[in-house]
Amino acid sequence: MTYYPEPVARLIEALQRLPGIGPKTAQRLTFFLLKRPADEVRELADSLVAVKERIVSCSTCFNVTDQDPCRICADPARDTALLCVVEEPNDLLAMERTGEYKGRYHVLLGALSPLEGIGPDDIKVRELLQRLDAGGPTEVILATNPNVEGEATALYLARLLRPLGVRITRIARGLPVGGDLEYADQVTLSKALEGRREIV
Amino acid sequence: MQIGCVQLLDFRNYRTLSYRPSGRLNLLTGRNAQGKTNALEAVGVLLTGRSFRTTRLAELPHWGAEAAVLTGELQRSEGTRAIRRVLQRRENGTWQASGESCPWARVIAFGWQDLAIVHGGPSARRAFIDGCAARLYPSHLPALLRYRRLLEQRNRMLQTRASAERLAPWDEQVATVGMEMIDRRRRAVAALHAELTRVYPAVSGEPQKVQIGYRSVVGEATEPAALVAALEQARPVELRRGQTLVGPHRDDLAIELDGVDARAFGSRGQQRLLALALRLAEVLPVTEAAGTAPVLLLDDALSELDPGVRDNALREIQAAEQVFLTSPEPLVVSGAARWVVEGGGIAAA
Repeated sequence: MTYYPEPVARLIEALQRLPGIGPKTAQRLTFFLLKRPADEVRELADSLVAVKERIVSCSTCFNVTDQDPCRICADPARDTALLCVVEEPNDLLAMERTGEYKGRYHVLLGALSPLEGIGPDDIKVRELLQRLDAGGPTEVILATNPNVEGEATALYLARLLRPLGVRITRIARGLPVGGDLEYADQVTLSKALEGRREIV
Repeated sequence: MQIGCVQLLDFRNYRTLSYRPSGRLNLLTGRNAQGKTNALEAVGVLLTGRSFRTTRLAELPHWGAEAAVLTGELQRSEGTRAIRRVLQRRENGTWQASGESCPWARVIAFGWQDLAIVHGGPSARRAFIDGCAARLYPSHLPALLRYRRLLEQRNRMLQTRASAERLAPWDEQVATVGMEMIDRRRRAVAALHAELTRVYPAVSGEPQKVQIGYRSVVGEATEPAALVAALEQARPVELRRGQTLVGPHRDDLAIELDGVDARAFGSRGQQRLLALALRLAEVLPVTEAAGTAPVLLLDDALSELDPGVRDNALREIQAAEQVFLTSPEPLVVSGAARWVVEGGGIAAA
């Protein structure tokens, strides 16, 4: 990259480290930014620094937050009897977007994956147990991803939590609402068939 | 189902190709290294997104090309449908295939590598039955990929000498997905067996008794609990070896001719015949499952066969719908469309 001025080369290099961004995209983004007004670029730079400086992990649920405990944990209107366990803050956001769930969360910050060297001690399992020991939740909803790692995490947690006497549930897998049966992929469809319910 | 036309751009040795095959038997002849097998492979990639020869996408584009494009038209009784596949080089240098799969398009391919089904190791037979099961039951392939991922994860667990408690969530999943796979493979074997007992004697011309059976570590058991039990029993050895030693990835097919293991019999011609018969036995069950006949890609399927057997095989092949058959020398077949493949082009003979 000798033909780029040093600051340009540095930005390209930095952008390339982001997920899903290759050398060509990094180059395109860099030249796009070069053309933008200085204010706009400064705002972007400021917000990059701000997320790093002002955002912390909630000490109760491990969601990303600018105050500790986070808004959800601090909200008295939230049902303390329900605890939804998710892998990442993104998953929590997805659940929140439904507007249906009024309980609280526990973010594991990962899933069991021996290949990546992630065991129960590397995700927030101990903290989950402590929360349950302290009392409150009567139902734990395991909302980890339906891939092999998420499934293993759910199975592991289910075994671990069973002696505590709380109700343990797993989110259902099935058809997307608004989708056509005809276009559903076979695995989803067969899982939906497996999890069928009686209509009353 | 038939493929009405094929256009290629930078695929293997084809720079550009526009080809309108017949809806029945297409006979492709030509000297070696002119592109006969590549043409068959192109039809397969266009229809299914996968090559029957290789799992490495990077081998498929013309040397030095940045992308390969395959387009075509699929016809079945309800009408035609345009299909398109693009193989493209990504920024990181790996190749990516895009293009939508047609849910009812099926391809059955035969090539020299299929001899390994008969005389090779168990992995060739597992690959064969998995391919067959995937054509019959579309959920087999995703289950297979999931199972592979599970094995990788579980093996790593074993290598760290994890406790039974830590292994449990992986064991449970290996058992559920594994049993799902075993079940589909068994059903695929049963479907094949019924056809094979008809096809093999019809082609060989001899009333031999051919049998194919599924051999699993769980025997005839159908519940995941049986696989969990097998895993528990194998655990001490598994922990020592750091590898999952029981499950569908260790199962095998038994292929027998008059009660003798197929691997044991001598003639190469006979092994070829059996491998071809196994592929032809797929045609009827796949047609029934997909609701339309598969396209057959038979690469040099008739060489090393006796003339009488060759005629029988041709008769069986012509009973299928659309077939692409390559041969180094011209064959005399009535009713077949003949094509000469030369230097990256296909012309009517």
